[in-house]
Amino acid sequence: MSQWSVRPVQAADIELLTRWLPPTASLTLAAPAEQWLVTEQQSDDGPSQLRACLRLRQAIGLEAPRHWYHVGSVVHASRALQMFHRQTTLLLGSDLTGSSELADIGWSREGLDDELQGQALQQLLSAALRLLAGHDDAQRVIVELPGRRDAQGLSPFWQGLGRHFYSGDPQVAAQRFGAQWRELVAGLLPRQPVHASFLPADAQAAIGQSAPEVELLKAQLQLAGLHAGEHITIDEGGPVYERVIS
Amino acid sequence: MTIEPRYLFRAVQPDDLAGLLRLAQASAIGISSLPPNRDALRLKIAHSLKSMASADDASGEESYLFVLEDRARSGELIGTSGIVASAGFHDRFFSYRSEYIVQVSKALGVRNRIHTLHLCHDLTGVTLLTGFHIAPAYAKTLAPQLLSRARLMFIAQFPERFSERIASENPGPADDSGQCPFWDGVGRRFFNLDYPTAEALTSGGDKALIAELVPQSPIYVPLLDAQAQWALGQLHDVAELPFDILLDEGFDADTYVNIYDGGPTVEGRLPLLKTVSRMRVPAEAPGRWRLLCNSHRGGFRATLGEAGIEAQGLLGLKAGMRPASAGLDLDLPLAPVDAMGDLI
Repeated sequence: MSQWSVRPVQAADIELLTRWLPPTASLTLAAPAEQWLVTEQQSDDGPSQLRACLRLRQAIGLEAPRHWYHVGSVVHASRALQMFHRQTTLLLGSDLTGSSELADIGWSREGLDDELQGQALQQLLSAALRLLAGHDDAQRVIVELPGRRDAQGLSPFWQGLGRHFYSGDPQVAAQRFGAQWRELVAGLLPRQPVHASFLPADAQAAIGQSAPEVELLKAQLQLAGLHAGEHITIDEGGPVYERVIS
Repeated sequence: MTIEPRYLFRAVQPDDLAGLLRLAQASAIGISSLPPNRDALRLKIAHSLKSMASADDASGEESYLFVLEDRARSGELIGTSGIVASAGFHDRFFSYRSEYIVQVSKALGVRNRIHTLHLCHDLTGVTLLTGFHIAPAYAKTLAPQLLSRARLMFIAQFPERFSERIASENPGPADDSGQCPFWDGVGRRFFNLDYPTAEALTSGGDKALIAELVPQSPIYVPLLDAQAQWALGQLHDVAELPFDILLDEGFDADTYVNIYDGGPTVEGRLPLLKTVSRMRVPAEAPGRWRLLCNSHRGGFRATLGEAGIEAQGLLGLKAGMRPASAGLDLDLPLAPVDAMGDLI
């Protein structure tokens, strides 16, 4: 029978945690308005193990702007022509500014079955939500998930939309500029609603679809009461999960 | 003696129906303003006669139809063109207006000029030059010059019936089977109809119906497929000749495109157009070839030649009355003109 605990990340944990996170995540512990949390599993017959981590950020987008596409619809209908079309639109904006965010969720997968990975994430998510629930006002908490990629590692959503407005390699730019990369590229993206019908079929299909490697995380987010909202990330079109905490 | 003018441009008359029907049968896809249909043509003629006869306080729903005769072939009809007094009179007139957005990111080292198309009603209420059609055998003569430009002389003679702003649609690329790359890349994404079907659905009727079903927000041109981008602002083969004449008049072709086929819709101010800015009443002295016209509304006639006694007779002017004229200083290679008015 294992025991779980969640605690703030310490300097000694960092080396292990960076193995779970994408190279663009920067593990700085000193940033204000954010906390790194880690779950630890104690077992009866050995030393405790770190299993998962996340970065809890409060009131996002108030200092550096954040951007998402809002996925909406318009209906084009004509009784005279007997036509009715529902069209998906993408509108760039900063709708989720001020929310809290669970970012850089990473976990240990090696030698662990899905159930144990799930338990680690469950412990971590519920501890983070408990921390947020201590506040007086209801607030929204979000989690961005990575979008779908093809066999070459390219994001069809980016290839169909973003690439026409920034021709550079988004992964190179993300490594160079870190988290600021999306703020920079948002300045180049279309400000007016984009009808998804103008995008290639594979880009349309990728809207709001997450990468297969986060299926387990997605299931835990749903168990924690989060659901895919109406926003997607501006680079890969990955879903943004959200929940209101009162 | 001056040479007797060969081509006569005049307001349509009821007995022109047979001649127009023959012309219409040679018309191209996408040019729905000249339907090869007896009843539709009869209606167009009737509408023009009514418009010509309407009181001076024009309502705006007038449309005027003109024909071009070859006097050397017993007055055979070899072309037609028209004027619509007020575009979108019953509703709105839709166009895409080209705009450019420049997005800059110093940090990323990027400066992008993005072409966008904005659905607009800017041209609602302007006067439209329409339905230009010339028999192919005459394409290389001076006849098309008269057929296009004489409309501007008519407008200038009766300015109270028209807008000071003049526009003209030019068909965009489409092949004989009706494949239209701009439609396929834009309109077809919102209607599963091919271009001829969409044309048929709206011809003569309400183009606004379809316009209401396309996106109301700007279209980012880089997102269109390559064929549609290529077709944007390009011409159907049959439109090259009338388009060149309009450009020579001084129309602007860079701002508006047709929302269906992407062809350029040109637009200009009446007093600045070449034919109008060069009009003199009465005509200057004979000796040079000019566009000549009378000032009778229902019996409007124009021709191309010297302002001599022969032209005066053809235009139905009484002795001593001189026609209005406009110098035809063509930027085209105006090679020597033979006795029949053909370019040699």
